[in-house]
Amino acid sequence: MKSALIWDPAVLAYRFRPDHPFNPKRLELAVSLMESLGLLDGEGVSVVPPRPATDAELHRVHAPEYVAAVKRLGREGADTREAWRWGLGTDDTPVFPGMHEVTSLVCGATIRAAELVMSGEATRAFNVAGGLHHAHRARASGFCVYDDLAAAIAWMREEHGARVMYIDYDAHHGDGVQGIFYEDPEVLTLSIHESGRFLFPGTGFVDELGEGDGYGYSLNLPLDPSTEDDSWIDLYGRLLPEVAEAFRPDVIVLQNGCDGHTLDPLTHLRATTRLYEETVRITCEVADRVCGGRVVATGGGGYAVWRVVPRAWSLVWAGLSGQTAPDRIPLEWLNRWQGESPELLPERLRDEPDAFPPVPRRAEVEATNLRTLESLRRQALPLLRGWGMGF
Amino acid sequence: MTRDPVTVGPDETLSHALRLTREHRIRHLPVVGGAGTLVGILSDRDIRLAMPSPLTVPDPERVGFLEQTPVSAVMTREVVTCAGSDPIEDAAKLLCRHRIGAVPVTDAAGRLQGILSETDILSAVVQILGGTEPASRLEVALADRPGELARAVAILAERAVNVVSVLVSPVRVQGDKTVIFHVGTIDPREVIGALEEAGFRVGWPSLEEDVRARLAE
Repeated sequence: MKSALIWDPAVLAYRFRPDHPFNPKRLELAVSLMESLGLLDGEGVSVVPPRPATDAELHRVHAPEYVAAVKRLGREGADTREAWRWGLGTDDTPVFPGMHEVTSLVCGATIRAAELVMSGEATRAFNVAGGLHHAHRARASGFCVYDDLAAAIAWMREEHGARVMYIDYDAHHGDGVQGIFYEDPEVLTLSIHESGRFLFPGTGFVDELGEGDGYGYSLNLPLDPSTEDDSWIDLYGRLLPEVAEAFRPDVIVLQNGCDGHTLDPLTHLRATTRLYEETVRITCEVADRVCGGRVVATGGGGYAVWRVVPRAWSLVWAGLSGQTAPDRIPLEWLNRWQGESPELLPERLRDEPDAFPPVPRRAEVEATNLRTLESLRRQALPLLRGWGMGF
Repeated sequence: MTRDPVTVGPDETLSHALRLTREHRIRHLPVVGGAGTLVGILSDRDIRLAMPSPLTVPDPERVGFLEQTPVSAVMTREVVTCAGSDPIEDAAKLLCRHRIGAVPVTDAAGRLQGILSETDILSAVVQILGGTEPASRLEVALADRPGELARAVAILAERAVNVVSVLVSPVRVQGDKTVIFHVGTIDPREVIGALEEAGFRVGWPSLEEDVRARLAE
């Protein structure tokens, strides 16, 4: 099996301002940890540079006027009123110079991953800088300017006529990708996230099932705060095979936002690194069974820049590329970064099972999550299997 | 409201009306006479009440009843209506007070312009409550005195956080009103901190259930 990591330090220019939580440092840390663990020179593994997405590729998922505005604002600086119209110039998603160029590169990197997977050059490809799932057709939102996932999905739809299953387990609802394909029955979106009652963007409830021809092809599993690994992995392991077998995709796109970790400052789900290993393992098993193993993967959210992101995405990459990552983080990596880190860096790649205190109302949370899963299965599976269409 | 709704004439048959409600999946048919004037309203319940019960022995005299009876025989003639310019809260009050599912919207001459249903009101409520744009939900307890809302909003404005929607509930909890903000940010920690520093009680997402309290357990 061949695997490709899409990487070029040029993507580090996707940077809003020095104190912004969406900090590209995390990408540099993640790739340097993969390298240090020996995960970039294994057999069948390659590191492939991205190319920028073309305007035509962006226009498949973004309004041309929006793309023109992003170009103009990135060049000329923020005219606040104009920027607000497009969801830019906010505290979350400020205008920055060269915004169009670097976001096109991030989009092109995910498209590059899709190219490699669809051509068979690689079975799995991972764009660690991608995962900008909040960007809408004509609106930036939640740190996301262009939607690289949607651009790559649209590319696979149009260039290869592929049926695409999109899976998103970032702690926030994947509202941008869902919205762009809400009426498309050839793209199934499945987002698992902290409930919109508690977390931005406030959407992603079970009853958002798609519209028109796409009805039944948008799935959402909103989780209760403090869900923890066991419940999360259990739900995913039950739901994914059923959905994938009913939909029969040609390829899976996996968004690996790692902000559901218990150390993440923005969310409340309390997962550990085990979630990332298990989710990737389950996804790859299902992909092997239903779509020749093809997985296009991206990063996503993740705001515990030093202590979580490098470890989570190293584990994601190891799982995708079928490598076993050693548990000890090499001393040279710790020495290289500890001076810059405001926090003590963990010495192990995987969190110890008892590293964090258990949640007092675990049983209640598990029961709530199971109820949500049943409600989703009851509503979505008959539609997906064609039982809801009167035959 | 729905413009150009499906309507029925007073002389058309009940079976025709029944077919319309089924085909269009609607429960109310405005009855329109000459010149587009509203003369009544027919609900699916009115039609069903006119039908024989499936539990009784078929009555030969009633065979073909729906095909022979005109809409005017069972429609409601005293129709509660509203005007297109009425505020949404007034229209909602009408539905509550009269316990009805829809009101026809008419102009000054009594001509039908549209129909407003419970579902239309609910969609409006969803929009007013801020469920349609990306946002984080916060509740803030507001002492019942002038200037408190302005003080809270000023804190959001200082941090360039856009207010997607704001709803002040007059229901008092521990003597305070509750204001629900949907704020357009993925990271509300800073505004929550600033509001609390200014003495406000803040719930994320609600005062009753705060996710931070859950994590601190």
